[in-house]
Amino acid sequence: MNLNLKAKKNNSYDAIVVGTGISGGWAAKELTENGLNTLVLERGRNVRHIEDYPTMLKKPWELPYNDRVTQEEAQHYQKQMRTGYTIRQSTKHWWIRDTDQPYEEIKRFDWIRGYHVGGRSIMWGRQSYRLAPMDFEANAKEGIAVDWPIRYEDIAPWYSHVEKFAGISGQALGLPQLPDSEFLPPWELNCVEEHLKESLDANFGRVLTIGRTANMTRSHQGRGSCMSRNLCMRGCPYGAYFSSNASTLPAAEATGNMTLRPNSIVDSIIYDEDLGKATGVRVIDAETLETFEFYSNVIFLNASCMNTTLIMLNSISDRFPNGLGNDSGELGHNVMDHHFRVGANGEFDGYEDRYYWGRRPTGFYIPRFRNLDRNDRSYLRGFGYQGGASRQDWRHAVRELAIGEPLKELVQTPGKWTLGMTAFGEMLPDHSNRVYLDHNKKDKWGQPTLVFDVEFKENEFKMREDMKNDAAEMLEAAGFKNITTFDDPGGPGLGIHEMGTARMGRDPRTSVLNKWNQVHACKNVFVTDGAAMTSAACQNPSLTYMAFAARSAHYAAEEMKKGNL
Amino acid sequence: MDKMDRKEAIKRTAMLMGGVVFAPTMLGVLKGCSPSTGRWRPELFTASQAALVTALSDTIIPATDTKGAADVGVPGFIESMVKDVYSEEQRTSFLDGLERFDEKCREQTGSAFASLDAGAQTEFANTENRLAIENEAEEGPQFFLVFKELTMVGYFRTEEGATRVLRYEDIPGIYQGCIPFEDVGRTWSHNH
Repeated sequence: MNLNLKAKKNNSYDAIVVGTGISGGWAAKELTENGLNTLVLERGRNVRHIEDYPTMLKKPWELPYNDRVTQEEAQHYQKQMRTGYTIRQSTKHWWIRDTDQPYEEIKRFDWIRGYHVGGRSIMWGRQSYRLAPMDFEANAKEGIAVDWPIRYEDIAPWYSHVEKFAGISGQALGLPQLPDSEFLPPWELNCVEEHLKESLDANFGRVLTIGRTANMTRSHQGRGSCMSRNLCMRGCPYGAYFSSNASTLPAAEATGNMTLRPNSIVDSIIYDEDLGKATGVRVIDAETLETFEFYSNVIFLNASCMNTTLIMLNSISDRFPNGLGNDSGELGHNVMDHHFRVGANGEFDGYEDRYYWGRRPTGFYIPRFRNLDRNDRSYLRGFGYQGGASRQDWRHAVRELAIGEPLKELVQTPGKWTLGMTAFGEMLPDHSNRVYLDHNKKDKWGQPTLVFDVEFKENEFKMREDMKNDAAEMLEAAGFKNITTFDDPGGPGLGIHEMGTARMGRDPRTSVLNKWNQVHACKNVFVTDGAAMTSAACQNPSLTYMAFAARSAHYAAEEMKKGNL
Repeated sequence: MDKMDRKEAIKRTAMLMGGVVFAPTMLGVLKGCSPSTGRWRPELFTASQAALVTALSDTIIPATDTKGAADVGVPGFIESMVKDVYSEEQRTSFLDGLERFDEKCREQTGSAFASLDAGAQTEFANTENRLAIENEAEEGPQFFLVFKELTMVGYFRTEEGATRVLRYEDIPGIYQGCIPFEDVGRTWSHNH
């Protein structure tokens, strides 16, 4: 008895944060800066900024196999490789082996994961866009799913708060459907992108702007300016893009209030029936398989959408027989991602005397232009485009009548300008799109595995017609030649924007979280990763997760000070 | 000043002057210091396949004022890709393509490709290149173009190919979206 009490005292904190990715890093920073003694748990290995980026300085000739993985290596990454870009010699150490944590696909779902301190904040695409007032209103207006319990005005100050620290470059435009951030100077468009921009404005009244990205165009917050290497996914020696490792975790560390514990898989949340609240978490050591319990006043779940859901579904008590906070039965349902890989490519004649310097870590963005003021399409919501123009590299000479010395000369002049763009469309929340646990099939740590039953539905497929045709039409109007369209949705999950499985809402009977991201019936548990999303909008979501995490952590700290938590 | 110091000094001068000094006249100075490639011991290819791969890759990218494919280890790179990265099906198809290529060469010239003189090799490869381009639309993937592209991938990822034939900047420092081509001078080895 005495021993247990002592163990409990040693393992007790003000707050526990589960996960160190984009949202977990923010929760850790805000909680520790508000004076809370915080335990930060990460299921993967430790990754220290700079020291643990083994490939960040490798030159092309220092990577074997032209950066591709061997057949033998690829066997372990069959699902992780579905993106086509994730598993390289230079980046493979950031992604899990599928065999470590298998999952079942009733329908194809591409669950792309990275387990280590920093999570996917190391490898993310860095595109950073605010959701708009219309995005928070759409569900209520159209009678889709449930209403968001907040409006844009509630989150806007927190967007500003996280942007000022993260460092987001971009061009202010004053668009209602894509509110401006607190921007660092924008990257430049190249000649052909500039040409398309002018054509879109003249022919369609549509906007093209440089991608808003968490790559810093000047030194900011003690981190270096981007050097235009575009090797971000390997980890940045300058700390020039936002990652937990470079940004939020060092800030949390600096407070002296953070205890970071890698290799700690959270099995479940401990719920105390008498107190009527959560008291801690059960942890499995990923290396030794030993189990521990850690205790705290508040718990932040930032394990990424699916793993947060897995932990909640696996947290069974008399009060919550179907998973923590699952009174509504919505936990695990309403899975969303963005649907993309549909658009057009084209070639452009001209600008043959123009080129570019450096490797820009972003492309261009065409903000949503469909269904803005009124709904006049055969589908709800809309999409934006991401794309880029460049001149063909040496590959243009493969199919030329040149061998030997003439070939070596030919490749020294770049080929034509080409431009490609893919739309990113909103996926509607749908109760039938869900994940659930298989308790009979365990992973290598003895955890139940997830079963995915998710698909794109009619609204998405109708939208894809516009996503494809609008792209081709815009390229045609701008004078592009040899325009080709493409449309290959792949599986949901491929956008690596999985979200929605513990949605926020006004009514505990139809949602899991309240307007502060608290579990309705267990208010000292907060969920501030993608699981909390009530709808997806069409913008890349990470910036929104940052804002929600910071807002909720601040709220939790205030409530603790008031003695309410 | 030893060779590596000189190379560094030139690089730094180039950076100070805005990064646009990389004129071909400097190539002679830089050529002195490329690391020698280790000796290649074929594991997958037979001796005659290895000889063919060496001869054909070096015909596609020969030594000029810059090194050729064979000098910078492209034949070994090709073997490693075919052996370790290609699928079983791709590997079988590639090895089959090598055999057929040499068979056709023997039929038409009376000699294996590797035994031809350089002029005859270039002539035969040019014909195969033209036929492959002409036939691709109708017949599908052509061995010669697969080999040509793999040779080019292998060559332009080396320091010689990337920095001396094409243009490579390890740390560009800034991004400029629309500048005169002369300011760069040659195709970037890496676009993105």
